[in-house]
Amino acid sequence: MGTSTLAPGPVGEAERPAPAAPGPYETKRGKLRPARERAFWPFLLPALLGYTVLFVLPALYGFWVSLNKWAGPGSDMEWKGLANYTALLENDAFRTSFVNTFVLALGGGVAVFGFTFLSMVVLRQAKGRGFIRSVVFLPMIISLIAVGAAIGFLLNPNGAVNTVFGWLGLDPQPWLGPDMVFRCVIGGLVWSSTGFYVALMMSAADSIPPYLYEDAKLIGATRWEQFRYITLPLTWDVFAVCAVLWVVNSLKVFEIVIAFTTAGTPGSPPLQARTVAVQQFLSVTNNGGAPDLGSAAAMGVFVLIVTTVLVWLTRRITRRERVELS
Amino acid sequence: MSTTVVDRGVWSPRRLFGDVLLPRATTLALWAWVVFNLALVGWVGLQSLKESGEVWISPFGFPDSPQWSNYATAWKAAGFSSAALNSTVLTLLGSFLIVALAAPAAYVLARSTRRVAGPLTGYFAMGMSIPLQTVVIPIVVIKLSVSSFMIDWVTGWWDNRITLLVFQVVLSLPFTVFVLTGYLRSLPTEIEEAAELDGAGPLRTFLQVVLPLAKPAMTTVLVLNVIGLWNETLLALLITPLPEERTLPAALLSLYGSMQYSSDWGALFAGITILVYPMIVLYLWLGRRIVEGMTAGIGK
Repeated sequence: MGTSTLAPGPVGEAERPAPAAPGPYETKRGKLRPARERAFWPFLLPALLGYTVLFVLPALYGFWVSLNKWAGPGSDMEWKGLANYTALLENDAFRTSFVNTFVLALGGGVAVFGFTFLSMVVLRQAKGRGFIRSVVFLPMIISLIAVGAAIGFLLNPNGAVNTVFGWLGLDPQPWLGPDMVFRCVIGGLVWSSTGFYVALMMSAADSIPPYLYEDAKLIGATRWEQFRYITLPLTWDVFAVCAVLWVVNSLKVFEIVIAFTTAGTPGSPPLQARTVAVQQFLSVTNNGGAPDLGSAAAMGVFVLIVTTVLVWLTRRITRRERVELS
Repeated sequence: MSTTVVDRGVWSPRRLFGDVLLPRATTLALWAWVVFNLALVGWVGLQSLKESGEVWISPFGFPDSPQWSNYATAWKAAGFSSAALNSTVLTLLGSFLIVALAAPAAYVLARSTRRVAGPLTGYFAMGMSIPLQTVVIPIVVIKLSVSSFMIDWVTGWWDNRITLLVFQVVLSLPFTVFVLTGYLRSLPTEIEEAAELDGAGPLRTFLQVVLPLAKPAMTTVLVLNVIGLWNETLLALLITPLPEERTLPAALLSLYGSMQYSSDWGALFAGITILVYPMIVLYLWLGRRIVEGMTAGIGK
């Protein structure tokens, strides 16, 4: 069974490594240590330095930039304090993108885990379950740009979906128009990521011993009840991890929005479909004038804060007494 | 007691819902989903062999005569040849570098009894929860500064593809270190100790004993990184905007963006196929392992 401590959550619980078999015999340092202990720093440093210098320090530098007005290297930085943040909170475009991201995380999350749970009711014993699991996972490895281009073709005003609608006597819909495209984005995202969570949850469900289900059947539990009272409680820890992963991933949705909005609408994605990541990308690339890096960096810090808060909330909501088979 | 008897009746609402309606509807939906996924992949391939008019007129038919020229169009006119080369080199080199950096680090983190090993493992894991958005702006700044610094002071030239490679590698380190540390911890230590007793140094032990033992996990993270780098778009768009520097997702995006003027839909689908099918082949080849690897570090 899963142990929730393995969660890669932002809380970043560092697990203490299991002491390697013959520990250092506490004499003089280095004398009787296994050879691999001597290799500790040489083996670790390249990755540690790269990660620190090019990832962690830039993240901190991003905080600094977010407190300034700056058009990029070569121009002057002007201290603004928290003005970038307050300006963002009053900026309609940013607020819309923020709400959109939130809707996507929440609405998409309900859909993703709704489908995941339903699949778990049947996938334990369905015919061809291995096949189903691997094909459902497939979209995960496909570029979202390609997905957007292919599905975008089907959803085009004169595309196949509207043709089918015509046969059924329904009105054609402007799927990729400003008002509907975001719903299509969420749908596309749910389609492409659910398989991943199905794979995660099912790999946890696989380790539940079958006799539990046999007992449940004997006392007359339906398939739904078997899921509700056996599978779900015993996979809840993994679900908690999945929920955190979903939150982290849904807050950085970018490609699929760009891909869905590239065809129908020249230029930038319509306001109704922007996520924070898209909004930030636009503010760096094609704002016309000089890029406002301070403001864009502040958006990045916002995402970090929201990620942290949402992850914390998710953990609180999914927290409960561990159910464990003894 | 009588209620339970009634309740166990085959057609009680509870049983009808929990044993019949819900499972059947879900199974049906799952198979529909499977069919949709397979059909979509096959359909993209078929569309890529049609003439542009045919793509629109009979989107679900088979091509009259396969138009391989679509691939030639995408390859030459839309710049997919250089994009494919960029993507291939960046992906393979990047994935190799990621594993080359992460594997030794994960090994000592998993094995060391030093007090810093635990916190350092957590320090790497922390990177998985820093959203890309938080580092994007600094990365853009670094990209601009590095290229002007190199051009003005050091080499006289610079290639933004190098910057892209470096950042794609660095940003993938936390996940790779995390997964590999977890895996290496589960390996027995006896063989390494035997190797050390026989006089093998740490590097030799690592290369000749640990790596072969950990081959399944190494393959998994390598493949996962190949998929990740191959599909990566945001950094590629920001760091390498010039046409000759583009990677495949960016090239496809620009081809797609130009569709309203050129309407060469056959070529667009050829582009989609060039981007998607290599990963499908990889998935057919190593599929089970990919799924296990993606779920291993997290689920169990």
